Amino acid sequence: MTDQREITLTVNGTERTIEVEPRRLLVHAIREDLDMTGTHIGCDTGNCGACTVLRDGEPIKSCMMFATQADGSEIMTVEGMEDLPAAGEDLHPLQEGFHKEHGLQCGYCTPGMLMSGKALLDENPDPDEAEIRDAISGNLCRCTGYQNIVSSIEYAAEKLDEQAAADGGVVAEDGDSDGFDCGVENCCGGPSAETPTPHVEGADPQFDDVTEGSESE
Amino acid sequence: MKAAPFEHHEPTSLSKAVSLLESLDDPTILAGGQSLVPMLRFRLARPDTVVDINGIDELDYLDESDGYLKIGALARHADIEESDVVTENYGSFADAAPLVADPQIRNRGTIVGSIAQADPKGDWGSVLIAHDGEVVAEGPEGERVIPVDELFLLPYDTSLDENELITEARVPTPPEREGSAYHKLKRKTGDYAMAGVAARLRFDDDGTIADAGIGMTAVDITNARAADAEAHLEGERPSAELFQKAGELAAEQSNPESDEHGDASYKERMVNVLTQRALGDAAERAGVVKRRATP
Ligand SMILES: Cc1cc2nc3c(=O)[nH]c(=O)nc-3n(C[C@H](O)[C@H](O)[C@H](O)COP(=O)(O)OP(=O)(O)OC[C@H]3O[C@@H](n4cnc5c(N)ncnc54)[C@H](O)[C@@H]3O)c2cc1C
Ligand code: FES
Ligand code: FES
Repeated sequence: MTDQREITLTVNGTERTIEVEPRRLLVHAIREDLDMTGTHIGCDTGNCGACTVLRDGEPIKSCMMFATQADGSEIMTVEGMEDLPAAGEDLHPLQEGFHKEHGLQCGYCTPGMLMSGKALLDENPDPDEAEIRDAISGNLCRCTGYQNIVSSIEYAAEKLDEQAAADGGVVAEDGDSDGFDCGVENCCGGPSAETPTPHVEGADPQFDDVTEGSESE
Repeated sequence: MKAAPFEHHEPTSLSKAVSLLESLDDPTILAGGQSLVPMLRFRLARPDTVVDINGIDELDYLDESDGYLKIGALARHADIEESDVVTENYGSFADAAPLVADPQIRNRGTIVGSIAQADPKGDWGSVLIAHDGEVVAEGPEGERVIPVDELFLLPYDTSLDENELITEARVPTPPEREGSAYHKLKRKTGDYAMAGVAARLRFDDDGTIADAGIGMTAVDITNARAADAEAHLEGERPSAELFQKAGELAAEQSNPESDEHGDASYKERMVNVLTQRALGDAAERAGVVKRRATP
């Protein structure tokens, strides 16, 4: 016997109230209760990242948390991308990047990759390749070999930077009061005023290389 | 697979959590869920009741006070990564944090949850050992402090009572002339360690090693202390030869199993190498030695 719990999630800017059992995973609530199947399930073990969504702006694996635990939070899924201010009329620059740079083949990993890419660019609008690879290290892709995914995110970073420059440093609000707001300051493709969190490197560069080398064997 | 049904409790204060844990039959604590959620789903764990501690704000802290780095039960791996205090002073913690799992998992998983999980492949247990850390547990009988050496019993088993909750893990603030480091060997980013070593060295004014701590990951049935290597280091001056001997002693004391990632003798060699590297970093960070040019 289990109780049903009423929870409210703000999903891509829209408040949704659903009843769930405590054992309901967030990913199942999103896919089955909210009928938003853009968020994928790849592994069920927390390894693949296909189920990545943003919770209050932070990337998490939605198969690794219960829906009740997300009560009251803002969830962003891949379906919310094109409603972001930076998307303008069409695709968000990240989606456009994946299109132009061939950042996908089967596309199974793509929703998760987009979410991790989004979280990265919100924090750090000008990431280098290592930072991009680090940001998507919790997302597996069985097709692309990652190279084009990195290029896609680089494409988006440049495009967002151009947009920001064209707007005089501020991304225009779309004027729509229902417009999605992920709740994070300077977010949604806008230039970030926050200093990117310094990347904590391993102990010593000289040894980093050695360790990296042995990692890949 | 779905988790078996359970009753879900969400206390908002520590005192409520403690009384819940006391009154409930077979309660299981849910912290970051990054180990427990899959265990529930695969029904490796089938508790009747789950006590979710994520709403207890008073457990969400990471500070340096009273001579300790104090890690509250809700401090996430990512909080360690982002902490300036840690980056400045706690080399092994700063090394380990970005090596735990991946960014998404680090946003949810907690240091304390990882220690309570007592997975011999967990990274934080070794760091705690190297720093002679302890955990603070709260239960029906009140508070007690458990030194790390008395915490890990078997894989996934600690000396914690069934209805006790760890409120905090803590390690002493390093004095001058102390440094620490963590090195981890893994197949790819995001993986658990094939082997890992945390090392801490404190030096006397004359440059001899006053205190050494070495914890090992994934090479025994629990996170393990390399006590022989520690004893060999204490009272000596740092040198490549000394660290080499310490590496050998740590490898001898480790007890890895062969698996698909490597056989036991390979892992022992890796313990030796990682120990030397971690000691080298620790000594350098203590400001006592400059490392030689070639490893
Ligand atoms: C894909 C993947 C990769 C990972 N890689 C690594 C890795 O490389 N290194 C590593 O160290 N870990 C790794 N982990 C595990 C991760 O670090 C988890 O965060 C950690 O093991 C558990 O912390 P948690 O807060 O999620 O605890 P939970 O999953 O919520 O709980 C774990 C256990 O601890 C108990 N518990 C939790 N909090 C308390 C408390 N305050 N008092 C008493 N008991 C408590 C729970 O009842 C449960 O038994 C990985 C996990 C995944 C899914
Ligand atoms: S489905 Fe969640 S990580 Fe793979
Ligand atoms: S495109 Fe197929 S898994 Fe990434």
